[in-house]
Amino acid sequence: MTDETMRALTWHGEKDVRVSEVPRPEIVEPTDAIVEITATAICGSDLHLYNDRMPGMREGDVLGHEPMGEVVETGDQVENLEVGDRVVVPFTISCGSCWFCEEELYSLCDNSNPNAEMARKMMGQSPAGLFGYSHLLGGYAGGQAEFLRVPYADVGPIKIESDIPDEQVLFLSDVFPTGYMAAENADIEPEDTVAVWGCGPVGQFAVQSAQMMGANQVIAIDRVPERLEMAGEHGDAETINYEHADVYDQLMSMTGGRGPDRCIDAVGTEAHGTGLDGVSDRVKEGAKLQDDRPYVLREAIKCCRKGGTLSVPGVYLGRANVPFGPLMNKALTVKTGQTHMQRYLDPLLGKIEEGEIDPSFIISHQVGLEDGPEMYQTFNDKEDDCIKVVMTP
Amino acid sequence: MSEHSFDSAVEDVPNSMHPGASAEPNRSRWKRAGTVALGGALVVFGLRRRSLGGTVLALVGGALSYRTLSDYLTDAGEMEPVERSITIDKPADELSDLARDPESLARIVGHFADVSAVGDDRYRWSAGGPLARELSWEMEIAADESGERLRWETVDDESIGALFDSWSLSFDPAPGDRGTTVTLEVRFDPPGGTAGSAAAERLDVVPESLVGTALDRFKSLAETGTVPTTEHRPSARGRGDLL
Repeated sequence: MTDETMRALTWHGEKDVRVSEVPRPEIVEPTDAIVEITATAICGSDLHLYNDRMPGMREGDVLGHEPMGEVVETGDQVENLEVGDRVVVPFTISCGSCWFCEEELYSLCDNSNPNAEMARKMMGQSPAGLFGYSHLLGGYAGGQAEFLRVPYADVGPIKIESDIPDEQVLFLSDVFPTGYMAAENADIEPEDTVAVWGCGPVGQFAVQSAQMMGANQVIAIDRVPERLEMAGEHGDAETINYEHADVYDQLMSMTGGRGPDRCIDAVGTEAHGTGLDGVSDRVKEGAKLQDDRPYVLREAIKCCRKGGTLSVPGVYLGRANVPFGPLMNKALTVKTGQTHMQRYLDPLLGKIEEGEIDPSFIISHQVGLEDGPEMYQTFNDKEDDCIKVVMTP
Repeated sequence: MSEHSFDSAVEDVPNSMHPGASAEPNRSRWKRAGTVALGGALVVFGLRRRSLGGTVLALVGGALSYRTLSDYLTDAGEMEPVERSITIDKPADELSDLARDPESLARIVGHFADVSAVGDDRYRWSAGGPLARELSWEMEIAADESGERLRWETVDDESIGALFDSWSLSFDPAPGDRGTTVTLEVRFDPPGGTAGSAAAERLDVVPESLVGTALDRFKSLAETGTVPTTEHRPSARGRGDLL
C-alpha cells in the first residue's frame, strides 16, 4: 500500500466481495470534499448487490453507502466544511440547487446522477445518484473504504460538533432517517395500530419512530427471534413470527378484525416467501425476468385497514406483481421513495444528542474492513445473530 | 477502429496503482481518459454495437433498447431529427448565454465532442476519441433570438466529416416557478449517412442518448455550476475508467 492507494471493499459478482487495494479518491470538482472514513456500515440494501439483483453493477466497484469520518481535503468552492470536521455522509447525493432539492425531495435530485440517461430509460426519470449503488444510480465509488470523495460537499454531510461516539451517529447516514421517514410517510395518528414488516435496522427504527409519533400499538413482524426480541425490548412492539403464525390471522385478532391502520414494508425486494407464492416467483426469477419478490407488499395490502396507509421504505428494483385490485378497492394510500436524507439529519441528530434515542442498539458486529467479505456472508445468511455490521477502516 | 472495444479503451487509461505509469498531470490524464472512453456510458461512438451490448447493456440486464443512427433514416433516405426537452430552473436569457459560450458548450457536449471557438459565432466541433480525425466540422450561429431560440448550422466548406447538420435550442417558460423548458433538436447527418450506409453503421451513435445527456449536462451546469462526474473514481479496475 502506498500514499496513492487505499483499502476498499469491492464487488466482483454474486456473493463475491473482496478487500482490494484501489486508488485513493481525489477532488475532481471544486464542490467536492474527501473524507477519511472512521466508521462504515453494511446496509440490508447492500445485500441486493451481494446477491447480484441490482442491474448496473460492474466488477471492481467500491461498495458502501453508510459512512462517516473526518474531512481531509475540500475543493475551492466548499464553504460549509473544513479540514478536520467530523461528518456523517448521507447515502443520497443531492445538488442542493434543483427544483427537487428546493422542495426538500433530495433523493429525487435532478443533477447528481451522471448516468441519468440510463436510469431514465428504465424508470422514465432518474432519481438521485447514490454512493456505491450501481452505475444505474450514478456509478459513484462507495464508502466501505478508507477514503471517500463526496460531491456537493456543502449539501450532503452533517457536521458532528459534539464528542458523541461514532456508533451513536453513524446511522444518520441511512437507516435511522429511513426508518423515521417510513413512519412519517405512514401518517400515524394517536389511536393507530402500526404494523412493521421486517425487523432489520430500518424496521427497528421505523418501530421506534412510530412510537415517537404517538402510535397506540406497534406490531413487528419477522422470522428471526433475536430481531423480534429487539423490537419488543427497544421499541416496545408486540411481535409476530411469521414462521410460526399466519400473519393475517394474527393481525386481525390483534386489531379486532379491522387490520392495522398503517403498514410499513421494511423488507423490499428480497422477501423470504412461504408457500406457493414463493415458488412461483422463484420460477420467474429463474427465467431471468428479474421481478421483485413482493410477498410483503401482497400481505400488507391484504392486512391493511380499509382507507389505511402503506409506507414502503423497502427497496424494490424492478417489476413486482402486486394485487392492485385490493389496493384500489380498499382505497389504500401508498407512500414510498428513497429517503430525503437532508430533511432529517438535523432533527434526528438533535434527538440523539438529547438522549431520546441511542441508535447504537442495533450494532451486532464491530470489525475491521478486512473482515468485510466474511461479514457480508454472515449478514446475508442471518447467522450469528447478525443485525448490523460496523467496520472501522 | 471498428474493433475498438470498451475494454481496450479502459486499458488505455493510465493506472495510478502503478505510479511509474502516471507521469502526466492529472488534467490531461482525465482528458485522455475522457476522449478514449468517450466520457459516458451510453454515447457510443466508434464502438461496435456488440461491445455496447457487452458492457452497458449487459449491466442493465438487456432491459434497455435504443434506436441507432440508421433507425432515424426515413424511407426517403432523409434523417429524422432527434428532439428532447428538459426543464431547467433558470431564466431563458441566462440559458441562452450559457449555451453559446464556447467554454460552457464544450462542457455540455464533453461526453462526445470537443468544441472551440474559431471566430465570431463560429465553432469547431470534433468527435472525441478515435474518430476525431474523421469527424471534425465547423458550425455557425444561423439564428439567435436571444432567450427564445438559438440555432447552429454546419458550414459545409470547413467540414472533414460532420456528425450533424444543425443543433437547435429553443427556450420556453415552464409552468409556475420551474424555470425554462429547453428543447434540443439535432439533425444528424453523418458522412455517407444514407440508408444502411457502412459509415452510419460503423459510427453506431446512440442519438437519443447523445441528445439526452447533452441536456442533462446543460441543466447541471446551469443549476449547479458543475457537471456531475465519476471521473477519477477509484475501483478495483484502477482509476479513471468512465463507464
